[in-house]
Amino acid sequence: MNGELDDLFAVVERELTIVARTPAYVATAVGFAAVVWWLAVASSLTGYVPLVADLLTPVEVLVPLLAVAFGYRAIQADAASKELDVLRTYPIRPRTYVLGVFVGRATAVLSLVFLTLLVAGLFVPLFGPPANPVIASHGGDGPFGTYLRFVLLATLYAAVVLAAVVAVSTVATRGRTAITAAVGVLVLLTVGLDLGLVAALSTGLVGPDGLRYLLALSPNSAFRGLTLALSIRTVEATTLPLSAVLANVVGLALWLVGSLVLAALSVWSEPPTERWRVVETLAGTGDAAGQSAVSDDGATESTADGPVEASDEDASEDGPTSPGGAEGAPED
Amino acid sequence: MYVRYLVTALVALLLVTSGVFVVDVDPGEGPSVVDFDDTIGMTDLTQAEQRVVRERGIAVPRAEVFYSRYRYVVGHQGLSSLVTELDRDGHERQFGVPLSIYVTDYADAELETGEDGYLRVTGGDTDWVAVENAVFVVDSDARHPGGSAVVPFRDRGAAESFTDRLGGTVVDWEGLSAHPFERSELSADAAERRAADRNAWADAAAADARSLTERPVSVVVGDDAPTLAAAIDQAPANTTVVLPAGEYRDENITVSKPLTIRGAGVNETWVVGDGNGSVLRAFDARVAVTDLSIRGIGQQQARPDIDLDTDAWDAQVLRAYGYAASGIEFDDAGGSYVADVYVDTPTNGVTVRYSDDVVVEDVRVDGETPWRDGFMSTITIHSRMLVQDSTFVGGRDGVYMHLGDGTVVRDNRFADLRFGVHEMYTSETLVANNTATRTRTGVVVMTLPEDNVIASNHVTDSDIGIDVAGRASYVVGNTVVGNEQGLDVGSDRSLFARNTVVGNEVGIRASTLIPTNVVTANDIVGNDRYVSTSLGPVRIWTDDGAGNYWGGAPGVDSDRDGFIDRAFQPTGAVDRYAASSPDAHVLATSPAVQLLRSQEGSLPGLRSSGVVDEAPRVGPVRPDAVAAALNATDSRPTTGVMG
Repeated sequence: MNGELDDLFAVVERELTIVARTPAYVATAVGFAAVVWWLAVASSLTGYVPLVADLLTPVEVLVPLLAVAFGYRAIQADAASKELDVLRTYPIRPRTYVLGVFVGRATAVLSLVFLTLLVAGLFVPLFGPPANPVIASHGGDGPFGTYLRFVLLATLYAAVVLAAVVAVSTVATRGRTAITAAVGVLVLLTVGLDLGLVAALSTGLVGPDGLRYLLALSPNSAFRGLTLALSIRTVEATTLPLSAVLANVVGLALWLVGSLVLAALSVWSEPPTERWRVVETLAGTGDAAGQSAVSDDGATESTADGPVEASDEDASEDGPTSPGGAEGAPED
Repeated sequence: MYVRYLVTALVALLLVTSGVFVVDVDPGEGPSVVDFDDTIGMTDLTQAEQRVVRERGIAVPRAEVFYSRYRYVVGHQGLSSLVTELDRDGHERQFGVPLSIYVTDYADAELETGEDGYLRVTGGDTDWVAVENAVFVVDSDARHPGGSAVVPFRDRGAAESFTDRLGGTVVDWEGLSAHPFERSELSADAAERRAADRNAWADAAAADARSLTERPVSVVVGDDAPTLAAAIDQAPANTTVVLPAGEYRDENITVSKPLTIRGAGVNETWVVGDGNGSVLRAFDARVAVTDLSIRGIGQQQARPDIDLDTDAWDAQVLRAYGYAASGIEFDDAGGSYVADVYVDTPTNGVTVRYSDDVVVEDVRVDGETPWRDGFMSTITIHSRMLVQDSTFVGGRDGVYMHLGDGTVVRDNRFADLRFGVHEMYTSETLVANNTATRTRTGVVVMTLPEDNVIASNHVTDSDIGIDVAGRASYVVGNTVVGNEQGLDVGSDRSLFARNTVVGNEVGIRASTLIPTNVVTANDIVGNDRYVSTSLGPVRIWTDDGAGNYWGGAPGVDSDRDGFIDRAFQPTGAVDRYAASSPDAHVLATSPAVQLLRSQEGSLPGLRSSGVVDEAPRVGPVRPDAVAAALNATDSRPTTGVMG
């Protein structure tokens, strides 16, 4: 299994290189941080709990946006540039590839979300208005711990949404389909599922009793529920029951794992027919190469790092169609 | 290989910080009691009563409340304010729920009531106890100056030994919460009822005082007596001394029997002092002075050396104001009357000390200009007075009250003074239908009194229109136009409703740290700034789903209920310009600004200084008053948008 781990990190490194080399990603990251910090400053910075209350809704929208921006081309780009075909010839398992892509992108997205929100929280002690020194105040505005909980929940939420986006990127392998599907996921996650629940409630399809578990199935509602239960709770002084917390955690976990499983299952399972046509127009050996890759899949782990590691060294920007050169090349 | 470290580091960071989920971050676990002097005070006592408490060493049970959505600790002096405040509509919206409440524990203290019935601690110690662990004695004989004392103990045994001596019943926290304390009702109806009661008293007092003009004539100065002093000396009680037209320069005219002194009319009969001290002094009940003019009053203002038969806390106030030279001075002269009198004074005009039911009407007092050179046109000390239909120009204050509970000031005109009406340590007054112009403050209420009604006054061209401190007071139906600052909301648990605030530099200033006022149904139009706030958290100025009319507030009323569908933030970064810039409307409807606005509205008690109206009105509450006020300010550059 050590070999598979090496494969994994090879893919992770490739993904991180892509992210670092693509100016659009850097710009997106800067934009995200700027918006969050500006919202934090605009929220008057009187305490951690008010800050959580203020950032909750923006984070619910901005984090999926960030995940879509960072994830929707993750696998689709490899497919479009035919790199996926090349990768398939390597002795790497699809699950390793998908997981590597996810971990690579997640490392970037999660670090960004975590650090941006953490810094926003530091604004409170740094720039917040001082409490009236003559008058005793108390912890009603919340200790830092409540804020840290929110930051961690937001990071988890980012991971879940990114996994969903990676899955979509895997399933929708053509350029226009990918962006459409990604936007669809964004709308579904930020408003769609919740609107569906509202509709279900108003038509009596579900009662308020079933709401708790249905809410857990919507990632942003699960995130919101956890934030209210574990972070903002400290000022509401009302507690969501443990079952709701557990349901929300399970809901998020299901989305995370489910998305990655879906991606792993679909990435190479159904090769698009056009790929075969392209390969056939090349040399006559293309067919054989493709078949050998399939048959070798999982059987040649000992040599797995060979081609990947080798291609790492000649990482350059020769052109996206060259298997080695595409390694870590910036996405357009 | 760096990615392995990177990923490992991120995972490790997330795992380690996740420890925060098992750490207790709940602040509700019991913040410890803080120094009572450091809390935000909410009290059952007026400032006058607080001075009595300090002076006589009276024990007043206290409470400290830690709220979930309010960052400061609230300290209650007396527990009825605690119970009534927790029960108030809109309280939870602003403060959240109490995380913990502590009250004074008298279990280890020796308690006595003195002859005055006030509770005192004569030995032992007091401590704090959480309300859920406390029992309370209600309806006992123990009192404090603010009313019946609710006395908490940590155990029932101590409470019962208290009731054995001083009576009362023992209840737990739940029982206390259900106890029927007198709750001030902050509605326009309640204000109207109070105004009606006080007007009725004033009507009766005026009618009674006017009857003094029907006394038979006994002495005519010039015919029956050579001087006014001789006439007073000569006239039997309950008769009238007539002063025909002319100037009378008697010194030290003192009336010590019930007598009416009647001139031939303002500017016809002049009583002229020698420029030293007061001109006319009355030391018996039911003295009337009518139809004459007074001048030649002395310059003496404060009398620091005067020997008073009191060591009370307010002796200083009396020396500073109450014994200044005056046109007419009443002392222990209840039911006296001044009407159709003109006073030209460098100091006080009419002084009323320890004389209830004195009526001053149709009087004009001209004081000094600038006001620093003058003093009080009328002043009441420890007396309930009625001042009506009079004119006060120049001087320091038109009507100054010191412990003048129940005083009514109505239908007067004030101009070029420091304060039109100035209430100190005075509760349960009615100040209505007065007009004030070119003052520092039209009507000002200081020193935390209670239950004052300031209604239908009209203040223009002043620094501050109306400035009310204290609690459970009513500021209703006033018009403040063209002042630097229209209304100053400096009170707590008070009602500010149906006021017309037009063309001021700042419409309303919110200056109290504790947001307990009801501000609703006011029309705020054409001011340079709607609202300024200094201290305190965000205040919600909406009562029972009804807010104020903010001229130019953008938005639509899709359900036609008379209220704009979105909240309005008169102090907000964009909304504050709503009246002056149509572009602000466009920006205000952007999702970004709406997001910011929703931020301000949530957890208001934890935010710093601002005002949110959750249900701004589509149209003004008193359109005619607004239109008239706008007409009056036509000469000023207005920024308001009507309708």
